[in-house]
Amino acid sequence: MEEKVSSISLTNVSASYDNGADVLSDVSFNITGGTIYFLTGASGAGKTTLLRLIYQLHKPRTGQIKIFGHTTNDMSRDEITNLRKKMAIVFQEYSLLSHLSVYDNVALPLRVRNISESKIKTLVPKVLDWVGLGKYADEKPLALSGGQQQRVSVARAIIVQPSILLADEPTGNLDDDNASRLMDLFIQMNKMFGTTIILATHNKRLIDTYKFPVLHVENHHVNFVTKSASDTESAATKKLWKGPAPKNYLNELSKQFDDIGNI
Amino acid sequence: MKKKPIVFSLIQGQSSFMTAIMSVLTFLSVLTLGIALMIGTGAMRMNANWDLYATIQTTDENDVPKIREVLNKNKNVIKSSSEISESQMANLMSPWVSGGSALQKYMPKMWEVKFATAKDLKSVQTQITPYAKFLTHRTALETPIRAGWYLIAISSLVLLIALGSITVCITYIAHNTAMLHKRELEILNQIGASDSFVAKQMQIIVARICTRASIYGFLMALPFLFLILSASHAARVGLMAMIGLNGFGWTVLILLPIAITVFATYITKHTTKRILKDS
Repeated sequence: MEEKVSSISLTNVSASYDNGADVLSDVSFNITGGTIYFLTGASGAGKTTLLRLIYQLHKPRTGQIKIFGHTTNDMSRDEITNLRKKMAIVFQEYSLLSHLSVYDNVALPLRVRNISESKIKTLVPKVLDWVGLGKYADEKPLALSGGQQQRVSVARAIIVQPSILLADEPTGNLDDDNASRLMDLFIQMNKMFGTTIILATHNKRLIDTYKFPVLHVENHHVNFVTKSASDTESAATKKLWKGPAPKNYLNELSKQFDDIGNI
Repeated sequence: MKKKPIVFSLIQGQSSFMTAIMSVLTFLSVLTLGIALMIGTGAMRMNANWDLYATIQTTDENDVPKIREVLNKNKNVIKSSSEISESQMANLMSPWVSGGSALQKYMPKMWEVKFATAKDLKSVQTQITPYAKFLTHRTALETPIRAGWYLIAISSLVLLIALGSITVCITYIAHNTAMLHKRELEILNQIGASDSFVAKQMQIIVARICTRASIYGFLMALPFLFLILSASHAARVGLMAMIGLNGFGWTVLILLPIAITVFATYITKHTTKRILKDS
C-alpha cells in the first residue's frame, strides 16, 4: 500500500501569546495529505494559534513544523510566501479589505499571484455565484451581513484551489442551509483536488453530522481523536443542503486553475 | 499615471499633504540646480570668451619698440592686436588724471591682444614679460569666476539638502502608509503576497504623488528661473551678464523631476521591504 505524505507535521511544538503566556505546549501530530479534520476546543484554548502556526503567521517557541515535508522554522520570508501560495486560511473575523469591492477582495489572491485579468474575470464571478454572492460583486464588504462577509472570505480562500485549507469557524455566522452548502463545497474540494482541510468549529451538530476526525485542543495540548474509516466515508457522502451539488461547479472551475498550479 | 494600486488607497488629506511637500522639495531642487547650471554656464562662457585675451602694459617708452617687435614676430599666432592710442588712454584715465599734455608722457602704453591658442599666449607671454606687464584676462577674472564656483557649490549643497529631505520625506510616506494600512499589509501577508508585490503597490502610490509633485514643482520653479535670467541679462558686465541656460541645461532641469520620481520609487521599494522584514 502506498504511504501517504504528511501535509502537516508538528513535533513538540510550543507556542506563546505576545504577552508571553503559554497557549500550546508540546504539541505533536501528523496530518496526511487529502484529509479533513475538525479542530475543536473551548474559546481561548489555542485553536486559532494552532491554525496560525500551521499558516506561518505565528512562530513556535519550541519544536518543529513541517509543511509538505519542508521544515518551516528557518524558512526565509520569500520561502514562507511561496509556501502560503499553496495554502489558504479563512479567519473568524473575515479579514476583508473594506475599501475594496467584494469582487476585488475575492480577486486579490489571484492578482497577488499575477493571474491575468481575463482569467480573473472568468473565475471570480463563478466562485461568487457558488457562495451565493454573485449579485453583491460590486458591494463593499461592510454593506454585507456577517454571514455574507464570511462567504466572501471563504470564496477568497477557495479561489486559489489551495492544497491546504485552514478555516477558523467558517460556519460560525451562517444559517444551517449555508453552513451545509459550505461543508459540501469543502468536501467536494477535498475529494476532487485532495485538499487537506482543517476546520476549527464549536458547532457540535456539524461535528456529529460529518464525523471527520477531530483535533481537540485542551489544557495547552492537542488530542488526536480518530474516527472509524466508515464514519469518515459516510461523512463525505452526507448531504444536508438540498440545492445543486458543487461538483459541476468545481469541475468547471478546476479547468480554469491551470495557471495557478497549486495542486 | 493611470495605473492604480490594487490594495492601498491614500486618504485624500494625506495624499494632498505629501504632494505639497514633494512639490516644494522638487521646486527647491529645480531652482537650485537651475541656479547652479546658470552660474556654471556663465563661468564657462567667461572662460571661453576671455581665456585667450591678454593686456600688455608698460610705462617705459623705451620698451615700446621691443614690445612691437615681439608682437610683429608673432603675427602668425596673434588673432588680433589693438594698440590703445594716447587719446583713448587719456579718455580712459580722465576720471583720475587731468592736468594737460605734461602728464601724457606718464600714461601707460597698452595693447589688447587675442591669441589663437593658450600655448601661443604662454609663448608670447614669456617673450614680453622682460619688457612689460602681461596681464591675462583669465587672471583678472579669477575672482568673479571663483565666486561663481562658490555659488555653484552652495547651490549644489542646497540641492543635496533638498534631495536628502526627499529621501526622509519618502521614507516617512512609506512608514506612514505602512502604519495606516497595517491591516491591509497583514491581509496581503495572509493571502500569500510577496514583499515585492507589497512594495510595488507602495511604489505605485509614491510614483503617482511624485509625478504630480514633479510637475507642480517644476512649473513653480520656471518663473523664478526666467526672472533670474532676465535680471542677469540686464547686467551689462561681469559674471552676471554671462549667466544663462543652454539646451543641455534645460534638458538636465527637465530630467531632474523625472529622476526625483525614479529615486523616490526606489527609496520606497527598499523602505517598504525593510518595514515588512522588521514587522
